[in-house]
Parts: sequence; structure tokens; C-alpha cells
Amino acid sequence: MNTSHHRWLLEQLPQWERDGLLTADAARTLRERHVVDESQPGLAQIVMGSLGALLIGTGLISVIGYNWDDFSRPVRLLFAFLPLLTTQIVSFRVLQRDDAAAAWVRETAALLQALATGACIALVSQIYNLGGEWPEFLFWWMLLSLPLVWVLRSHAVAIFYLVGIAVWSLDQGYGKPWHDSPLIYPLLLLGLLPYWPGWPPKTQLSLSVRWVMTISAILGLCSAAVFVSARSEGYYSHRDETFIWLWTLIGAGLTLFPLSRAGVAESTGRKPQVVLGSLWLLGYGIAATFQDVSDDILQGAAYALKLPWCWGLLAVLALFVILACLRRRWAVLAIASIALLPLVAIPFTQDPGEHSALLSWLVTLHLSLIGITLIVLEFAGRRGAPRLGAALLCLLIIARMFESELSLLAKGLAFIVIGVAFLAFNLFMSRLHRQKNPPVS
Amino acid sequence: MKTLPLILFGIAALGQWAAPLSQIWTHEQTLTQGTLIKLKCSAPDPYDPLRGRYLAVRPAQQEVNVSEDMKLKQGMQVFATLTTGEDGFATITSLSRTPPASGDYIRVRTRYAYESKATIEWPFERFYINEKLAPEADEWFAENIRTDKGITAEVRVLKGRAVLADLSLDGKSFREILKERVK
Repeated sequence: MNTSHHRWLLEQLPQWERDGLLTADAARTLRERHVVDESQPGLAQIVMGSLGALLIGTGLISVIGYNWDDFSRPVRLLFAFLPLLTTQIVSFRVLQRDDAAAAWVRETAALLQALATGACIALVSQIYNLGGEWPEFLFWWMLLSLPLVWVLRSHAVAIFYLVGIAVWSLDQGYGKPWHDSPLIYPLLLLGLLPYWPGWPPKTQLSLSVRWVMTISAILGLCSAAVFVSARSEGYYSHRDETFIWLWTLIGAGLTLFPLSRAGVAESTGRKPQVVLGSLWLLGYGIAATFQDVSDDILQGAAYALKLPWCWGLLAVLALFVILACLRRRWAVLAIASIALLPLVAIPFTQDPGEHSALLSWLVTLHLSLIGITLIVLEFAGRRGAPRLGAALLCLLIIARMFESELSLLAKGLAFIVIGVAFLAFNLFMSRLHRQKNPPVS
Repeated sequence: MKTLPLILFGIAALGQWAAPLSQIWTHEQTLTQGTLIKLKCSAPDPYDPLRGRYLAVRPAQQEVNVSEDMKLKQGMQVFATLTTGEDGFATITSLSRTPPASGDYIRVRTRYAYESKATIEWPFERFYINEKLAPEADEWFAENIRTDKGITAEVRVLKGRAVLADLSLDGKSFREILKERVK
């Protein structure tokens, strides 16, 4: 349950008490159990405060962009530093008031200061005709804004920082030294750690920050994978098949990202890293059932294993696997293990460049087992996902049919049969669900 | 009031001042104490979403002769010795891995190096102009691109650093020319 659910429940309690649905004791217990932390800003507060700050900040940057060259250099420098000083004073006042400051005021002050910092650097580089491309500017801007996330605990600046470092990573192409490349993205992401005081974290991240953080991590880490896959043979190009497998390892890492017991118990919708990681892994799995694709993956994995970055990633993944085993997260472990199947196939393939059906069959078998397990678990009285299992089996059969050399007529008939079977299963599951949970009349 | 957040905030606020101030300090020093050199260049008119309109300054000299034993690589930082010719324009006459003992020099990066030649990346590339003057600059540039006079970049050079001070045409400041045209 998120804050809005708790708040809704608390609002209903007086009416339920009046209607005799709840005793006073039961209502008190519910109030104690579903406390709303008012110090955490609501989404509307963040959005309104951030929008105001964004408008002022972008307005400031646009005014600077006009270039007031009628004024002398010192006067223009004063224009650069005055907004920065003003926003710093506002943030200091907010810090002094500590918990007494409203959440939206804290958010607005932090975002305004971050934008004023960017405007100041932009104006100074404009006045002195400094060169440098915008990603370089963005990098320093993000670094100077990061401490505001820690001290003012601003969600808006955290989101701004996560977007900024992801955009920076995406733009750092090949030919750069490692310290100016997406390889430092993990360090930049770790910079947000003081945002959560204590371990395990005392406060939960809002859903919006979780989604932005997951997407930022995907973009940043995938950029690093592309960067390490570059080959320089007089000109730069990439080994596509290598970074695709590295992306899959990243997907597995995200899916298995360690969670506390409360985190594991949360619904999947509140775990964007599991949703996006699993989607990639299942898509990759279906694609790997095609023999040409699995050949490319084997080649890519064989080359990737020569890269130290890949071994670092595998070491992190091994740690995550151990922690996931301790938490008994079998479902995500089953999905994430798809990424490691090339490691099983490589020792049995003499030359990864050769045609080998082994990986294709391994993935097909693995996905089939996942699909069947998801269905069987439900009927064994455990928590399963029968519809997802059936959909996975359907997709798998469709993919196999595409690669088969059957006639169009046979394929068409097979698709019709699969479609009918899928619909029948869906109908059967709906009836079963109704039998287990009869409607309240 | 908690102390640690305040200390962190103080450090952050100082950092936010220190970054632009250090830039100001080094560039002011170069502008006031540096040697003025002139370079022939071209300047088309692009746009930066954060810093506004600017002229992309491209000095005419992009290639330098180097000895093959220098073994230059892409992106390497080297020192370029500047020599002013009889026409008053400076050119890069040599590249070295260490700062030259005398004369004016600037730090540049190599773009490509092949056989006995290296193309370089100049340490300045932008000349910011007023948004109102930018369309005029565009028009003026289209009209004058084929003239022999060419645009001159006036650059201040000190201890390897270079700051673009002004652009001029026929000895007249670029901004002044544009302002007169706008009137």
C-alpha cells in the first residue's frame, strides 16, 4: 500500500465506525497500523513545487541565453551569482527550520538552487566564450547539484540528477578515456547513497523515484556495456552481439537487485527493476530460441568473457544470486538464469562462430519449464502466475513455428489451435477464480 | 538543527561558487596579462540551448606538420608554439609534448595524426553573441564569406591557456559591425 492508500483508509474509518462496520478498538488498531508519514511530500506537492522551480530556473537560463552584452563583464557576473546566492540563502533558511519546513518548500528550494547553479556556470562560460560541449557542462552541473539531494532530501533534485547522469552517459561515445566515459556511471549512481540514511533504509523511495532510478540505471549501465564493446581497428565500431549479452546480464542484475523482506513482499508493480528486467530477459529468451540469434549470442558472450568489465558484472550478479537464494526469490531467479545459459553452452561448442543448436534448445527448454512451473504452482495451491505462464508458452510455440519449415497452411492451422487453446485456458482460469472467490451478494 | 547537513550544505554551497570562480580567475588572468595574437578564421552561427547564440569559431589552420617520432594519438594533449608572421597573423609552427621554454604557446588536443601531419582541436570554439544580433550575424556572414578580408579571432594567450577576446573584420570589432547594421 502506498501513502495515498493509507490516507484513503484513514479517511474512511470515522464513517465505518458510525455505520457499525468497525469497533472503536478495531479502528484504533487500523490507525496505528496505517500511519501516514506527513513529512514525506505528496506527489502533487512535488509536482507543483518542481514545476514552479523549473519555470523560474529555465526562465533564468533563457534570460542568460539572450546575452546582455551591453553590460560590462562585472555586471554580467553579478547577474550570474545573485540568483545563486539568493537560492542558497533560501535553502539555508529551509535547513535551519529542519522538520518545520513544509515538504514542498524544501523541494522547491533545492530545485531552484540546482537550476541557479547551472545558470551561473552557463553565464560564466558565455561571458568568457568558453568552449566545451554540453555533456561536459551537464556533468559538472550534476556533481554540484548532488549534495542538495543529501542535505535537503529532495526527490525532485534526485530525479533531475538521475536524468542528468543518464543523458550524460548516453552521450559519452567511444574514444574517450575511462574516467570520462559511462564506466563511471555506477559511481555517479552510488553518489545518491547518502540519500537513504542508515542501512537497511529507514525510508522507502517513492514510486516515481524508483521508476526514474531504474530507467536511469538501465541507460547508464547499457551505455557502459556499449562503451566496453567498442573495437578500434583504425576506426571505431561496436560488437553488437557482445553488448546485447552484456545488456542481458544487466537485466538479470536488475531483476535480482537485493531487497529487504518488506521489499520482497511488495507488489511487482512497485518494483520497476523487476518489471523491466524480466521483460527484457523474456524478450531476449524468446529471441534466443532462433538459431541465428543464439549463434550471435554465443559469439558475443565468448568475446565478452575477455572483458574485465564483464567479469565485474558477473561477480556482482553472483552476489545478487546468493542474496536472492537467501530470500527464496525463486521466480526471479528462474527468469534471471536465462542470461547465464550461454555460459552453459560455450564449453560444449568448439568454435562459438560455428552453427550450434545447443543454446537455442537450452533456452527453449528453460522458457518452457518456467511457463509450465508458473501454471503448475497455481494448481498446487502456491502463488503462481498461470496466465503469464500460458502466454509465455504461446509465444514460445509461435516463435518455434516461425522458424520451422512447415507449410503456410500448417502454420496457420497451428496458430488457430494455439489461439483457441489460449482463450479456452483464459476462460477456464476466470471460472476457477470465480469459484474460489464467489461474488458478494 | 542538525550539524552534519549544515556542514555538507556549506561545502556544497562553496563548491557551487568555487567552480565558476576558478574559471573566472584563470580567464581574467589570461585576458589581462596574456599576449594578444590574431588568427584567421571562419565563424558560422549555431545555437546552444543553455548558453544561447554563438559563432562557431574555426581557425583556418587545422593541420600542423610533425615529426613521425612524436607518435601522436587521437585526443592527446600537446603544446602548440605560435609564431606571428609578417601579416600580423599567428600560426602554429610546431607541436611538442612538453611546454616550450620560450615564446607563446597554447595547449591543444590532437584529432587525427597520420604520417607527418596532425589535425588539432583548438581550445576555443565559441564566441557568444546577443540573441538580437544573431540573425544579423548570420546574414552578414553569408554576405561576406567569399571576401578576401576574412574574420580575425583576437585571442589572449598565457601559460598555455587561450581566451577568445573578440572577433574582428578589417580591424573593426565584430560586435560593433553588427550593432551598426542593426541600427
